[in-house]
Amino acid sequence: MVEIWIDGDRVEAEDGQSVMQAARASGHEIPYFCWHPALSVPGNCRICMVEVEGDDASAGWLDIACNMPIAKGMHIRTDSERVRARRKEMLQLVTLNHPVDCGICDKAGECTLQDYHYRYNGEPSVSRDAKVRATKHHVLSERIVLDNERCILCSRCVRFTREISKSHGLGIQHRGDHSLVRAVENGAFERDPYSDNVIDLCPVGALLSRPFLHKARVWYLEPTASICPGCERGCSVDIWHRKKAWTLKRLDPAANARIDRVTPRENPAVNGPWICNKGRDLALVFERPRATAAMVGGEAVELEAAVERARELIAAARHPAALVSSWGSNEELAAFHAAFGTRFACHVKTDHLPEPGERLEDELLIKPDKNPNRRAATALYPSLPDAPRAAFPAGCDLVLVWGEGCDFDALPPGAKVVHLDAWRHPAEFRADVFLPISVQTERSGHYTNFAGVVSRFEACFEKPATVADAEALFAALAVPARVEAP
Amino acid sequence: MTGTKLLMNFEVTATSHRLADYRARGGYATLEKVLRDMRPEEVTKEVATAGILGHGGAAFPAGRKWGVIRLNDEQPHYLCANADEGEPGTFKDRWILEHAPHLLIESMAIAAYALQVRHAFIYIRGEFDLAWRRIAEAVEGAYAAGWLGEGIAGSAFALDIVVYRGAGSYVCGEASGLLTSLEGRKGYPRNRPPRLTVRGLYQMPTVINNVETLTNITGIVRDGAAAFRQVGTAKSPGTQLISISGHVQRPGVYEVEYGYPFAKFIREDCGGVLGSLGLKCVLPGGISTTVLTAAEIEPLVLDHASVGAAGSSLGSGGMVVVAEGTCMVRFLQVLVRFYHHESCGQCTPCREGMGWLHRIVDRIVTGDGQPDDIDRLVAISKANDGTTICGMGDAAGYATVGIIAKYRDEFEYWIRNGRSKYGGRLEALGHEWVREAALHG
Repeated sequence: MVEIWIDGDRVEAEDGQSVMQAARASGHEIPYFCWHPALSVPGNCRICMVEVEGDDASAGWLDIACNMPIAKGMHIRTDSERVRARRKEMLQLVTLNHPVDCGICDKAGECTLQDYHYRYNGEPSVSRDAKVRATKHHVLSERIVLDNERCILCSRCVRFTREISKSHGLGIQHRGDHSLVRAVENGAFERDPYSDNVIDLCPVGALLSRPFLHKARVWYLEPTASICPGCERGCSVDIWHRKKAWTLKRLDPAANARIDRVTPRENPAVNGPWICNKGRDLALVFERPRATAAMVGGEAVELEAAVERARELIAAARHPAALVSSWGSNEELAAFHAAFGTRFACHVKTDHLPEPGERLEDELLIKPDKNPNRRAATALYPSLPDAPRAAFPAGCDLVLVWGEGCDFDALPPGAKVVHLDAWRHPAEFRADVFLPISVQTERSGHYTNFAGVVSRFEACFEKPATVADAEALFAALAVPARVEAP
Repeated sequence: MTGTKLLMNFEVTATSHRLADYRARGGYATLEKVLRDMRPEEVTKEVATAGILGHGGAAFPAGRKWGVIRLNDEQPHYLCANADEGEPGTFKDRWILEHAPHLLIESMAIAAYALQVRHAFIYIRGEFDLAWRRIAEAVEGAYAAGWLGEGIAGSAFALDIVVYRGAGSYVCGEASGLLTSLEGRKGYPRNRPPRLTVRGLYQMPTVINNVETLTNITGIVRDGAAAFRQVGTAKSPGTQLISISGHVQRPGVYEVEYGYPFAKFIREDCGGVLGSLGLKCVLPGGISTTVLTAAEIEPLVLDHASVGAAGSSLGSGGMVVVAEGTCMVRFLQVLVRFYHHESCGQCTPCREGMGWLHRIVDRIVTGDGQPDDIDRLVAISKANDGTTICGMGDAAGYATVGIIAKYRDEFEYWIRNGRSKYGGRLEALGHEWVREAALHG
């Protein structure tokens, strides 16, 4: 422990910390663009200048906080007259060649430069010279577009690809005020499965998501805490969707229940501050065509009728089996277990297999199993073996299929099928009873990830009126076996 | 004559740079003696006692730099000769590389012995051609003769020297930018701390010295620190190679003993200003030093203390002479164009500030200047003072602030009248053909 003073407050800093780290840990604010807690210290934005107070022997001096090691008894001023003047100067320089096109910039509203400008400068540019022009729309990859005029060359994105994703996919070309961030020519950035993190890292609106480009102003959106179901890592994410107060009535009502974007929610126990690109594309998972109609024998019926028919089948079954979803939440699994755990022969099914070309596993986040809650499910039941027939009891006359990824041809012939699923698959017509259920974004719950860490997800949207929550369905379907007269 | 000569003390002939000639002058005898009779710390002590100041521009005592290296700390140390001589107006190291390459190699071997270095580097400016061929040839010759490689002069000491050609970037002459470039990356300078003597090349303790500084080591060790201190002044012992250019009768490289009168050097040794014009001003140590007017240099002597007291610096010894009748606005335009072109673009004040300076001066020259532009130039320069990663931002600021402080009237004239007070001239009117051209179109 080292004792220092920041703005007159006594701070116990840890050995080896920088002034920036000590100040943040003790709640003192120092502005920064290029510094990031998870990346190396380049010290290039120069906005984090603080004043080291001198003593009788020496005058005070200004230096950058991010690269200043703490020394015992040092006195730091983060808001002195000189510091404020320097910050104003630096912001004048940062915005000198920045186009200030906030009106058409996706980052407006969550832009560090915008915030700092209003907090620390607030004055128009003193320059009367033309700004340096650069590419406004440089396609960096399939997913990311770069506006070089907005770029303030903090090098966070470059350092991310070198230090975190290790793709070495980005670099800086040229020098001086004509420097340009560019992807390396071997396509490493295109293949980087973590590339979208640079969009969040960018302190200005230079790196932008192409799917999200000009789709929404961020102040109309709100984040809901959720969990990426893309693999057994179960990264904490924020699902951004339209605020209730800003519900669209005329323009495009579908936008009200749309996932606008997904960003990482920092969780040191699971994913740190990052997620992979698959997690950004949760809309591709959740916004597939939904199965919203209950069916009996392939004919659409009311949900209540379908539930009634399913209860009859379950009650009549003598040797029932069940395939349990590896996408069910801990709460749903508990409800399932309470309803069927003792009577049914249960096995955990693989709902999702890796997509062709998808990265299976790496050292950063991605795990091989592409289902979020297999760990909790397999704590209750064994996994479905590779030869599924052997898993079913002899004379099996009913299979309850929960979730996607079921091979209906592998089910015991002649067995009745009750199928619960959220999305539209041809298989829904094959089941004797099909019951539509809600998806993760329409309910809350918990997943247990591969390491046993339990995280919670919240509901973002209302579920369609004609679908049921699996948790409630299980309770409704829990009927005892009909005792027949001997 | 400009006092005692320590480096330029032999006759330059067609073969004087060769190993045979160097041996005939007593070359490599000092290295042999050091390896036989001296311990590494004794060499460092000798250099520290001699008090030689760095000749790259900052005048940091070489002995103090060496003293930071801890011997026997069980990690590799590196030594690097900074031959990336890119400061405009400076071409003194080129003379050493072309004419005394073996003196540099011998000095580096002695320094490497003192610092327990196994691999040393010479980072040479990419534009240098003859200098590169000469030093490359000399390194090859030294290997062949056993002055480099394993078991030098029958001792256990081994040293490899790698000659590395830069790609012609100004900031790669800054020590940390140089090392980053030497590592094969983009020549971005690094933040201090850590100092390069703690974590330098490949994150190992590294001593990086200017070519001229290193070249003096052989003489210091051979003749002793006391003999070295006899030359020059008390605070600036030794000599300085000064490369003088601009509007001067006899431009070139001169070895000047510290303490030699400034004005006399220009007037007598260099033959005065071109075409017997009056002297307007001098940039004493490369373009990054504050300009000194003719009146200001009159009482000065050529040493760090004296020039420093006048508010400038002897810098890298690249003296630029400016004759009467030269337009200082155009002069500044040339300087800021250079800084704009050479800013590496890493940190904000320099990346944005250099281009801004350039655009404002360009605008003044095209006749669109506004009265507050002059103060803006000064403010941008001040915003670069001490806020940048390396010294380039400060350097550009010193040059700009110096010229504006002393020749503000020329800027005001151009802004007011839309034209130069001196016809926008950069050539010295006194030069024969310039006068011809001016008279007859």
